[in-house]
Amino acid sequence: MARLTRRDLIKATGMAGALGAFGWAPGLWGQETAPKEAVKPAKKPAKAAEPAPAKAKARVIVVGGGYGGTIAAKYLKMGDPEIQVTLIEKDEKFISCPLSNEVLAGERDLDSLSFTYAGLAKRGISVVRDEITQVDAAKKTIKGKSGKSYEYDKLILSPGVAFKWGAIKGFDEAAAEIMPHAWKAGPQTALLRKQLQAMPDGGKFYIVAPPNPYRCPPGPYERAALVAHYFKQHKPKSKIIILDPKDKFSKQALFQQGWKQVYGDMIEWVPGAGGGIVEEVKPKAMTLVGQVEEYKGDVVNFIPAQEAGALAKLAGLTDEKGWCPVDPKTFESTKQKDVFVIGDACIAGTMPKSGYAANSQAKVCAAAIVALVNGKSLPEPSYVNTCYSIIAPNYGISVAGIYELKDGAIQDVPNSGGVSPLEASARVRALEVQYALGWFRNITADMFT
Amino acid sequence: MKTSIFRLTSLLAGLLASTGLLAEGPRSPSMLANTCAGCHGTNGASAGDAMPTIGGLDKRYLANVLGQFKSGARDSTIMGRIMKGYSDDEIKAIADHMASQTWVPTVAKVDPKLVQQGSKIHNDAKCETCHEKNGQVQDAETPRVAGQWPDYTYNMLVIYHDVGAPASQPRKMRERVQKLSLDELKAVAHFYAAQDK
Repeated sequence: MARLTRRDLIKATGMAGALGAFGWAPGLWGQETAPKEAVKPAKKPAKAAEPAPAKAKARVIVVGGGYGGTIAAKYLKMGDPEIQVTLIEKDEKFISCPLSNEVLAGERDLDSLSFTYAGLAKRGISVVRDEITQVDAAKKTIKGKSGKSYEYDKLILSPGVAFKWGAIKGFDEAAAEIMPHAWKAGPQTALLRKQLQAMPDGGKFYIVAPPNPYRCPPGPYERAALVAHYFKQHKPKSKIIILDPKDKFSKQALFQQGWKQVYGDMIEWVPGAGGGIVEEVKPKAMTLVGQVEEYKGDVVNFIPAQEAGALAKLAGLTDEKGWCPVDPKTFESTKQKDVFVIGDACIAGTMPKSGYAANSQAKVCAAAIVALVNGKSLPEPSYVNTCYSIIAPNYGISVAGIYELKDGAIQDVPNSGGVSPLEASARVRALEVQYALGWFRNITADMFT
Repeated sequence: MKTSIFRLTSLLAGLLASTGLLAEGPRSPSMLANTCAGCHGTNGASAGDAMPTIGGLDKRYLANVLGQFKSGARDSTIMGRIMKGYSDDEIKAIADHMASQTWVPTVAKVDPKLVQQGSKIHNDAKCETCHEKNGQVQDAETPRVAGQWPDYTYNMLVIYHDVGAPASQPRKMRERVQKLSLDELKAVAHFYAAQDK
């Protein structure tokens, strides 16, 4: 270095050992004296993408405009603007189920969870409102309720989950109007919120948790916490009971610790082996019939067992358990060529069924299709899941998973990821809520802008 | 010198791959870095509020910090758990990719009174010494702070103030931050956020 500046002297006070494994000392990157760069910021937003030229390289259709489908469409277009990308979605707007437990708590409204597809349209993606009812993989054509047909070179389905109505005697679609699932955000969320508001102090709120596998593993337990937050302020004598067919659940130790710390004994979890299995539902009597006992609730949130979204079954892509087997490198269905399945509906090794997982899988799928369309070799995949749960406005917890493709399966990278520590300061718990909210802002921006 | 090290490393990686000792082939920088967008925004341009924008930061700085998360030298809530999932080569690839993105300044609303107060502190506490040009300058050890989300900057300053900075923070910086009040730290955060507007 030609001349020592004050800056260099100050940096020297903290530099010992700080260069770490990388040893990025000035000079390693080929610059002897690192020049002082004032990096020019981007003043204007990126130009809107040009629509695909008349002769597109390939036509890719994405069905399902949620956590998976929006990302698949966007990253396809980003990966190769010459691919014609169509996103077909049956609803006008998307309402996020992640963070909707805050609506139940009275902390936010559904509008704050609602998004339009205008941003994706600006990127040159053709956004079509239709509900797909038929998939003809031989002819590579799909048909919608509108009567229109759409041809594809590659088809990506991100249909989410469907509820197994009738898996438990007495719970059908009509029952959900009395005992809402609120497991797809929108009217069901609003209904459950209304019921909770109307419940008298000292009432009993039952949550019937679903069996594995299901969308959003920590969801029911975050719901219990956030409803407890509401009850604590407005009806503190009330009780929340979770009836669970399972004997353990996601982030269990953390949830139970958090529930106790923040809400005392308000939340009770009944595992399957302890009487949590519900064998029959009597909606009009607000009664849940267990193996030994009967439970009567003032409000009941019944979250049914799940399987891949209906379209996946219709298209012949599901296995005997109702989920879609796929090639982990591309997410192409093992049952149908040129049809890909991402998100909750697919079987993705050790990845959970979460919004972030759908986001991650969509990117792998998009990168694979871009490679296929351009005659390049398939890229090696990288997958991630991060999931936040909000126990109270200043108490958050998280789980992270980093995955790789190994021996033909999606597996956790050894010694990585994991849940928040059980021993954590109040500062850390509060920070994790800030990050949960930041996660939501960013993942929805990733999806819709 | 640098080129031959890299050539040797890739030769070695190739050999290992062919013997099956590596899991599969190497993952591309964009494949690795695009997974970050769920929390840090598309191309590392955060939508806020507590998540920092990382797209356009110096690649040496990024690689150092990500490596520190991995080793635990730098404290974190979730970043440590995440970075343990990557090899050092992959961390470098992520850093390279993120660094080559365009820096997008925050759109957070700032309080003009705090900005004014922060500007004075930036000079009086001599932050300008390293965070030159009102925090625009960055290098291997100094992040760009101009245009960063104020909640993030504030959170980091509070950690340096209360808990103590990671090992790599210059002692003089820690001392100066610890002399400020939390309100003054907030003003500083607003000041930097207001740059590039």
